Amino acid sequence: MTATTPTAERRLGSPEVKRWIQRHGWTVGIWLLLVVLVIWYTTLIPKFGGFQTSTIITGGTSWIFLGVAQAVVVIAGGLDLGVGGMLVLTSVAAAQFMDGQSLGVILILAVLITIAAAVVNGLVGWIITVSKVPDIVVTLGSLFIYQGLALMVLPKVGGGTSGSFRWMFTGSENGIGSNPWPAIVVITIPVVIIAWWMGRTRSGLSLYAVGSDKTAAFLSGVRDAKTKIVAFAVAGAFSALAGFSSVSISGVGNPTTDGGTLTLNSVAAIVLGGVALTGGVGSVLAVVPAAMILFFFNPILSALGVDPNRAQVIQGILIVLVMMVAGVLEWRRSRRS
Amino acid sequence: MRHNRFVRLIALLGAFAMVVAACGGDDEGGGDDTFTIGVSNNTVGNGWREQMICAIKAEAKVRGNVDEVVLLNRDTDTAGQISDITSLISQGVDAIILNPGDAEAFNSVIEEAVAQDIVVVVVDNAVTSTAAYLVSNDQAAYGELGARWLFEEMGGTGNVAYMRGIDGVGADTLRDEGFQKALADYPGITISSEVFTDWSPTTGAQQALEIITTQDINGIWTSGIDYSVVQQFDAAGMAYVPIVGADNNAFIGQLLNIAGLSGVAVTNPPSVGGAGAAVAIDILEGKDIDKVTLLTPQALSDSGDLEDIYIDGDFPDGWSSYMEIDPYTHYTADDVIACKGPGE
Repeated sequence: MTATTPTAERRLGSPEVKRWIQRHGWTVGIWLLLVVLVIWYTTLIPKFGGFQTSTIITGGTSWIFLGVAQAVVVIAGGLDLGVGGMLVLTSVAAAQFMDGQSLGVILILAVLITIAAAVVNGLVGWIITVSKVPDIVVTLGSLFIYQGLALMVLPKVGGGTSGSFRWMFTGSENGIGSNPWPAIVVITIPVVIIAWWMGRTRSGLSLYAVGSDKTAAFLSGVRDAKTKIVAFAVAGAFSALAGFSSVSISGVGNPTTDGGTLTLNSVAAIVLGGVALTGGVGSVLAVVPAAMILFFFNPILSALGVDPNRAQVIQGILIVLVMMVAGVLEWRRSRRS
Repeated sequence: MRHNRFVRLIALLGAFAMVVAACGGDDEGGGDDTFTIGVSNNTVGNGWREQMICAIKAEAKVRGNVDEVVLLNRDTDTAGQISDITSLISQGVDAIILNPGDAEAFNSVIEEAVAQDIVVVVVDNAVTSTAAYLVSNDQAAYGELGARWLFEEMGGTGNVAYMRGIDGVGADTLRDEGFQKALADYPGITISSEVFTDWSPTTGAQQALEIITTQDINGIWTSGIDYSVVQQFDAAGMAYVPIVGADNNAFIGQLLNIAGLSGVAVTNPPSVGGAGAAVAIDILEGKDIDKVTLLTPQALSDSGDLEDIYIDGDFPDGWSSYMEIDPYTHYTADDVIACKGPGE
């Protein structure tokens, strides 16, 4: 860098900018795509105001939390098929126990359910590290177990929660309204905390270390078993947040919700969010808009008059396309360097 | 070439948006005197619901003043169906026809839609909110009529297999009320097994096979999962017992053609969807309509009545041949079979 052209150098060519783009290009791109889709959606419907903003953000909340849950585990080199089941289990537990309680009791229950979800899912992580059975097998089991437990906790659609609790996740005491802010806050706080933890703390960074190279991480003093258990525990807690959002929207618990589909949505969200399924790469900050986009497909495609059952096909094709393009970009980059 | 990757990513995203755009249709609305109707249904792959949708489309088409039927028809849970309804509200539809997956969970979203001047017609499964119009078959009468016929046929005594629908859903609860009312008058009848078929022909068939091969039963009451239950007697090589079903064409065919099978078809026409569409359009046209429209079921057991509504030939198994509902619907049976909405 010379004294004569500092600004130009800094603006475009400096290694920091290049590195920043390399590192955050996907995140920025996915956020931009979300913005483009929102703008496009506003042209498809007659009016875009508080109601539309609120219902979209509220509806996307559980997708975001579940996407983040999956991202944490995948970045640490694992895979958790159980997150969808945990959403169903925690939502029916919330509906069953919170029904008719005061807000104080409900908040305590929310904390307890979140902790229980973290402990139980952490236990799943522990079983994986001890037994050496692949994640996909153990968590397929946990998915079915959670789904079955949900039916034991609440045999049929029912239960409920308080208006104030529903307000926290939906901006309205009856689950539907025109105030998007509570949902935005309720998404932002946990996501920012987790992003800070993963990017700035030793225990958070060890997820990336273990995810990209277990042996190297071990040799440099990171305990991979502990890291994996922590990742699964965090995923359990975020699945519980997703469960609370779901019960706040519908006002009832629904034990027959298909947790498997929810899990697959979370996997789609991390793929679109640029998290490498091989572990060690990705950011929860890109998973947030990616999950939002996936949720957003239904409203957009319905505004376009596309049959929702066909919409799933389109969603699938887009995910494959994104993966292919990401692969090509990666290949070009590795050839250049 | 420095931020090649970034530029390409943006280009990719543009292409991505265009793919989505290309998949969609044209979305131009009509003038003030035409209406857009949104439909939300939470169960697919069931002939009854399929025919219900076709009846809605057919009625909307023949009325001439509906320019579009926006169909949100997928398998989903309460949260998913609520979000489908909110996207219909956002699209500014004039009316929403809804077959809800729960009796209470949809009250707030229905009230929100009504607050935004949207006519909401709930069909088939009732909700507890009074904000919506209800067009339904009289489900309590459905449960009672069939049960009374069956208990008479059984001579007032014996074991009955009680094969219900979906636990907690409005129609199932009401049918149970009717069934229990009839049961109270027949002390000699015992329910020997009670199952929920989830209104799935395959689930119902499996349960029926298990029941008839392991228990001694004298009659079966089904919540409309009928023809696949009858098939199980044949599969198991068992003698038929009296059976209550609905107006599914395949079941009526069995009643007419299988010697030794006695049963009753209690009408529960899926064309209630068409009647719901008719009510919605009437309201949009400014007509004064009662909040609740109940269609009274008929119990058809003698061959003359059954032959009247039976369609012999190429017709889907789970469909009902009873399609034109006087005085509500305006379409013909062929319109429903064609299953085309406005502009299709």
